Amino acid sequence: MTFVLNLSFSDLLLLLPEIFLTCWLCVVITVDFVSPQLPKDRLAYLSVGGLLATLGCLAWFDVNQVSGTLFGDMFVLDRMAIFFKIFILGATILVILASIEYVDRFTLFRGEYYVLVVMSALGMMFMASANDLLSVFVSLEFSTLGFYILVSYLRDDLASNEAGLKFFILGVFAAGLFAYGISLVYGETGKLVFSDMTSTQATPGLIIGFLLIFAALGFKIGAVPFHSWIPDTYHGAPTPVTAFLSIAPKGAALAILLRIFLVALGTFKPTWIYLLVVVSIVSMTYGNIVAIAQRNIKRLLAYSGIAQIGNVLIGLAAGTKMGNDAILFYLLAYLFANIGAFAVVIAVSQAIGRDEIEDYRGLGRRSPFLAFSMLLFLLSLAGVPPLAGFIGKLYIFIAAIKEGLYTLITVGLINIVISMYYYLIVVKQMYINEPIDPSPISISGPMKAVIYVGLAGTLVIGIYPQPFTDWVVAATLKFANFVAPAATVTPPSLLIGS
Amino acid sequence: MLEELTAVFPILSCILFLPVVGAIVLWLIDDEDMVRSSTLTIALVELALSVFVLLRFVPESAAMQFAERVEWIPALGISYHLAVDGISVLFVGLTAFLSVLVVIYSWDTIRHQVKLYMMCLLALETTTMGVFLSLDLILFFVFWELMLIPSYFLIKLWGGGADRHYAALKFVIYTLLGSVFMLVGIALLDINYHQWASLHHSDHAYSFDLLELLTVPIPMSQQILIFWLMFLGFAFKAPVFPFHTWLPDALLEGPIGMAVVLAGLKLGTFGFIRFSIPLLPDASKSDTIVTVVVVLGLCAILYGAWMALVQPDFRRLLAYSSVSHLGFVVVGLFALNYQGLQGSLLTMINLGFSTAGLFFIAGFLYSRQQTTELSAFGGMAKQVPLLATFFLIIGLASIGLPGTNGFVGEFLILLGAFEAKWWVGSIAVLGVIFGAAYFLWYYERSMLGPLGSSVKSTMSDLQLREMVIAVSLSIMILWIGLYPSPFLRIMNGSVQALVDRLHHDKTAALEQSITERR
Repeated sequence: MTFVLNLSFSDLLLLLPEIFLTCWLCVVITVDFVSPQLPKDRLAYLSVGGLLATLGCLAWFDVNQVSGTLFGDMFVLDRMAIFFKIFILGATILVILASIEYVDRFTLFRGEYYVLVVMSALGMMFMASANDLLSVFVSLEFSTLGFYILVSYLRDDLASNEAGLKFFILGVFAAGLFAYGISLVYGETGKLVFSDMTSTQATPGLIIGFLLIFAALGFKIGAVPFHSWIPDTYHGAPTPVTAFLSIAPKGAALAILLRIFLVALGTFKPTWIYLLVVVSIVSMTYGNIVAIAQRNIKRLLAYSGIAQIGNVLIGLAAGTKMGNDAILFYLLAYLFANIGAFAVVIAVSQAIGRDEIEDYRGLGRRSPFLAFSMLLFLLSLAGVPPLAGFIGKLYIFIAAIKEGLYTLITVGLINIVISMYYYLIVVKQMYINEPIDPSPISISGPMKAVIYVGLAGTLVIGIYPQPFTDWVVAATLKFANFVAPAATVTPPSLLIGS
Repeated sequence: MLEELTAVFPILSCILFLPVVGAIVLWLIDDEDMVRSSTLTIALVELALSVFVLLRFVPESAAMQFAERVEWIPALGISYHLAVDGISVLFVGLTAFLSVLVVIYSWDTIRHQVKLYMMCLLALETTTMGVFLSLDLILFFVFWELMLIPSYFLIKLWGGGADRHYAALKFVIYTLLGSVFMLVGIALLDINYHQWASLHHSDHAYSFDLLELLTVPIPMSQQILIFWLMFLGFAFKAPVFPFHTWLPDALLEGPIGMAVVLAGLKLGTFGFIRFSIPLLPDASKSDTIVTVVVVLGLCAILYGAWMALVQPDFRRLLAYSSVSHLGFVVVGLFALNYQGLQGSLLTMINLGFSTAGLFFIAGFLYSRQQTTELSAFGGMAKQVPLLATFFLIIGLASIGLPGTNGFVGEFLILLGAFEAKWWVGSIAVLGVIFGAAYFLWYYERSMLGPLGSSVKSTMSDLQLREMVIAVSLSIMILWIGLYPSPFLRIMNGSVQALVDRLHHDKTAALEQSITERR
């Protein structure tokens, strides 16, 4: 592949959000070094300011439909990339606001915490635009690097160190698989850019290569059987980092999965549909059943996250534009509910110092606001109407049922019932059981803001989803051109129930 | 039932959202007595609005009236579509009526967390109204599911029994299990519409609107699949035998107010007559389905009555008698003729007065003896003559004595059943005999004869609030029993249209009128 680097100024415009954020990152780290006496929450607000400016820039791109490719198609900026970047930035802002209080628990390097969070976000923004196996690899590792440090940020906490180590070893292993997968795929096709690979033959090397790549990305999104790191890492990591880990990397990795499955492998849909159906069924069922037995709220949310990813994969298995839209919509609903739920967990653990589900006894009395928010977030995760999660699940199911994936839908629906059970266990603790210590819980200002944003998102997307459906439909519009050949392939007859 | 009269003023939206807005207002009130009187005011205004709709409703018409329609999620074809017709309008009135009585009943029987209780009650009223008013299947589903949340809290927080946590969870999980299957059925209807619309180049890609779905033919194999999926949803909720096991637990463990709503408003069977039968006429007519469903109905009649005979606890007895009555409703519905459908519809309304009334009586008994076990009663008629009298009136209505409302409904159902299949009618008749047996037996042992050993001699008769409840229920029971024609006239048009749709002759003409409407 000849690689000609001739960048014009207008090309650089496409990179403006990333360039700006990189500069801002340097500003934040310099401020931290230059004035060590500065209260650390100022750094948080400084980072949020930069992220908001980047968000504004992306929103401007979206409205004016700025799009294009760079570096010989390695970097693509289409509306789907913009959607995922906004998604990642939104998650990052909320996570930073939710961390402000929590950061006091870190003994050292409080300022660097924010820098690392923003750095990971930057890596994920590149992931959202990666359109080539090499840029995927580089951006993936770039973002994960930040997480390796963040997960073990509680230096004196054994669980946090264990979490970091597990995450690191398995993460590096996944990276190895990924690199090996790339080499196989490149060896078979001679191509790296997804959109060039569309009409290649399925050779054994190519299949193994893509399976390895899928395994590595499955590790990122935490789908069964690549989930083994999730419970311990979520449990041990500082809670804001857990919240971040449960949203943003999943979104970024899904952007890549969508590009790989719908663009590079679009013509192989009849083959990969089996893979996705199996992974989706196993993820949902395993996540939900194991979640029932959990005693720790972070572990419960970890397993519920595994199950949620199973739901998302239903949309990917549908493999149509509608399925793609549904995934984007589902992620939006998931973002608000999950960040909100973690914000409540952080607020409670600030007051109580523990994360066991037992500690939520009588939360309805101690803090009606926190309990009610948690109720709505959990119900949205369970998919109860008229909250955002319900519309998301409905969207995904309609997309899948249109493709005749009845087996998948049935399993998905039974799983909703199972999931309701463990979400209700938490609700029962909050509302039915009497508190041991009835003193009210105070919530800091930024934390309140995060919970309010989560509530607003959950309710507004649920009750008035129109603008959001319009947005996701528009986001995949151009992307859908790539999908066209895949959409014509009929699903295998085996999966059609009747 | 395909005509639509658009409302000038969005009165149905007012009915739908008044209770929930009221619940939010209650949040701001601290004084408990203020909370009670505000809730009563809201419930009364709601009742007044519903009565207004009933009075302005054009009887003998199949049209959807007071219709309101706004696009909600056009990308998925979901709209906010409310309307009432002869099938649903009576339920709206019944819901508002029972809500007022429940608020009156709860006035002094609920002593802790009064505000939260009243908020849950009002939220429950909104969701129930939503189920009856929605013409869009997703909107319907939203309310159907939302109903679980206030119900869960009502059973769990104010239930009297020791097993209320188990009962609440069982109720939620069972209903949810049924409704996820229903959701697949709804999605399949939508996909079917989509396929049809893309063949005919219609501009609507997707639709969940009942009136639009009715215009689209559905292949027989699809109809049967969808029928069973929706059947599961409605059968768990109704509950139809053998999906009824949650009902005795929920009714026994939950508070009386909740039991009145659960047992008095027949949401599950309403689902059959509102959605399953009109949307899937060919499946509903097919031999297999009719046989299976009717046999389940007959089993429910006999099993429910049989179980009711041996229950020592009055609320459990009522729960099983509810199962038995629902069997009647199901048999009447799937007789699929005019009398059967009309009788079922009227019986659903009747049960709202009689079964709910008996639950109020159970509540009165409970507040006197702190239990509804038979052993705590005996020969109370002398102590509490008024309670005994109203107990008898409402109870006789429940077993269908001529002159009460129960008779009219059950008679029509049996007429329809005999007309459809003689053996169905003759088995169903047995249920009437059992029904008389279990009620009269319980009544005799609790009210008549020598005074029971544990009955306090200081026991007071009905108080003012209890009198209001008992008298208003008795008036309704006698009114429908002696002069049912206003109620029958309201439902006639819609029932006739449903029968026409089922028996294909006039369907062509109907479809003609749709094309003209567009």
